[in-house]
Amino acid sequence: MKAFTVLVAMGFIVGVIFFLSALAYLVGGWLGSWAWISNLLILVLGFVMIIATFLTLAERKWSAMIQDRIGPNRATIDVPGLRGRPLGGVFHVATDAIKMIFKEDFRPKIADPLLFGLGPILAFAPVLALFAVVPVGPVVPVKFDLGFLHADSRVGLQVANPNFGMLWVFAIASLAVYGTALAGWASNNKFALLGGVRASSQMISYEVALGLGLIGVMMAFSSVQIPSLIAGQTAMLWGSDGELGILGRVGIPAWGFFLQPVGFIVFFAAAFAETKRAPFDVPEGESEIIGYFVEYSGMKFGLFMISEFAEVVILAAITTALFLGGWNIGFGFDSTLTRSLSQANLGWLLGAIYATIFWVKVLILCYIQLAIRWTFPRFRYDQIQSLGWKILLPLALANIFITGALILIDPSLRSLAVVGFLEIGFILALTLKRAEPAGGHDTDDAHLAADAHGHAPAPLPGAAAASHH
Amino acid sequence: MAYKATKNPTTDLRERLFIPELLRGLAITTRHFLRNLFNPVDRNTQVVDRKGLNLVSTVSYPEEKTPYPPGYRGLHRLVPRDDGKPRCVACYMCATICPAQCIFIEAGEYETVDPASESRVIEKFPTQFVIDELRCIVCGLCVDACPKDAIRMDTGLHTPSEYNRAGFVWDIPKLLQGPPVSHPSDPWNKRLSSAPPQHQHSEAHTRIGEGLVQLKLPGGEPHKRTEVTDQAIPVTRFLKE
Repeated sequence: MKAFTVLVAMGFIVGVIFFLSALAYLVGGWLGSWAWISNLLILVLGFVMIIATFLTLAERKWSAMIQDRIGPNRATIDVPGLRGRPLGGVFHVATDAIKMIFKEDFRPKIADPLLFGLGPILAFAPVLALFAVVPVGPVVPVKFDLGFLHADSRVGLQVANPNFGMLWVFAIASLAVYGTALAGWASNNKFALLGGVRASSQMISYEVALGLGLIGVMMAFSSVQIPSLIAGQTAMLWGSDGELGILGRVGIPAWGFFLQPVGFIVFFAAAFAETKRAPFDVPEGESEIIGYFVEYSGMKFGLFMISEFAEVVILAAITTALFLGGWNIGFGFDSTLTRSLSQANLGWLLGAIYATIFWVKVLILCYIQLAIRWTFPRFRYDQIQSLGWKILLPLALANIFITGALILIDPSLRSLAVVGFLEIGFILALTLKRAEPAGGHDTDDAHLAADAHGHAPAPLPGAAAASHH
Repeated sequence: MAYKATKNPTTDLRERLFIPELLRGLAITTRHFLRNLFNPVDRNTQVVDRKGLNLVSTVSYPEEKTPYPPGYRGLHRLVPRDDGKPRCVACYMCATICPAQCIFIEAGEYETVDPASESRVIEKFPTQFVIDELRCIVCGLCVDACPKDAIRMDTGLHTPSEYNRAGFVWDIPKLLQGPPVSHPSDPWNKRLSSAPPQHQHSEAHTRIGEGLVQLKLPGGEPHKRTEVTDQAIPVTRFLKE
């Protein structure tokens, strides 16, 4: 029964996404060359903001389920039919918003008024601006004629498609550090300043790995524009010669994840650090310095929080577009779906289906990010820096050289894919391998066993490290 | 040599690579997530007895309450008799033993005019019986000390919240609650008057149900107050012959 309810709820969410995507295509077709306005409203203010808002709830509800708790279920609406039904806690989103808006907007007397107000704006605005270049659905012809409403134009669900593409993402992503640094400095609070400095150093460190992690994908598809990168991933590396009935052409797609698993890991880790969420939440550090927004209250704090979740959505969207084939199904169906709907002159339907697939991939990646946040403890500060500079950066550089060499040898990308699959297989084999019995090492268990047999008690950890190595 | 936390000798390649351990951790959290997402919560208040695939171990307190174990010491009550009056005879045993000194008793004496009144067997009753529930440490010594089974902690309740401290001072109208209790050995069941019993006890703990003693109902003989005499009462009178 509960499983059925959950599946219905999931279906409802997918239905809403499909409806909004279809709406975006139809309105975009009607607006013609002004379609970027409807894209801006529906994609950025609609999808990104709504998903980010609900992620604040998901963060609490999903973490509760991961930790075998129930999670938020107290807020209800006192109207007939909904009375006493928390509906999975969705009303907590509304209570949060109401609380944030009506809380006192406190500003410390010694804080800089201008910069203090500018902090949350500069933290929030770049995050939304990032989404401008992310394409959600393919460019399709939208044609309909209802007499008073008619459309005949080609529409893609992308706010802007400049020729600098991904470079916009790098440029704007590095602007977000100004918001946190300003918030930390303008608060005139030592803890906030510490948080701001930590945020600055962390974000600048990972900026490098963030960019270098994507170089491989850009090289493989010879473009920095995200629609071209997605189009490149539509191709099959190995596929059937003809179409297999309704399945269409089946095979393994040239997804960035298969070509560039190392690039994926580097980019994902670096972008995770950019979002400043656990395990990279040293700038916030609730248990020690509270963070760069310690002096903020009300909706100003809410902006910091929502920008964090918007970053989660946008990171998921960019990862989907660059590594998971964007809106493509990938392994089959694509060719038949495209042909049949194009012949039926239902371009908007095709686009809406693809956009729905895109958003479902984004939601799955959002779940993975939240699950990582609730799986991992925090990195120590020096571990964050050494991970960024000593591990991710060399890894990304090595990846670029190997990728370049493989593309030079084999422009069909197949050898690159073979290396990618070998890397994935290596990681998977290590993951599935049972933990080795500690051979030459003295684990705690070994010490305990020695004690049980009446041998000398375990030496101190330092002594153990010294004696065995 | 200083202990280097980063050079833990027990890590192998998999742990150093970090990604496999991350995937294993994600598998654990996702397994918990999916089990709790798709399966209904077992609402058994005994969490260890919960069945099913759902792993949630929450008891949603105001709606669900874990039953207290037998012998749980809850809020006090003054035990009523069958006629609704407290069993208490104002002996001050509870107030004396109370380590928190939270019990206050003011004793009254039964009038002796009415031969049918309780005074034929009991001399005292509490005109005031007050427990300051904020001072009470819930040790249960008062229950142990009471010779008349007149105070119990078997309500299974917590002290309810109040808006001021005066509300936590419970007096007889609030304390006198719960089912009445009657024992065969209660003086109002067993004896005709408060005077030393005239009959010979054949056993130390004779009970009415055993047929050795007849239950004597009020009325009949005119009442006499206990008379204090200089005569020594022979102890052997109460012993089994």
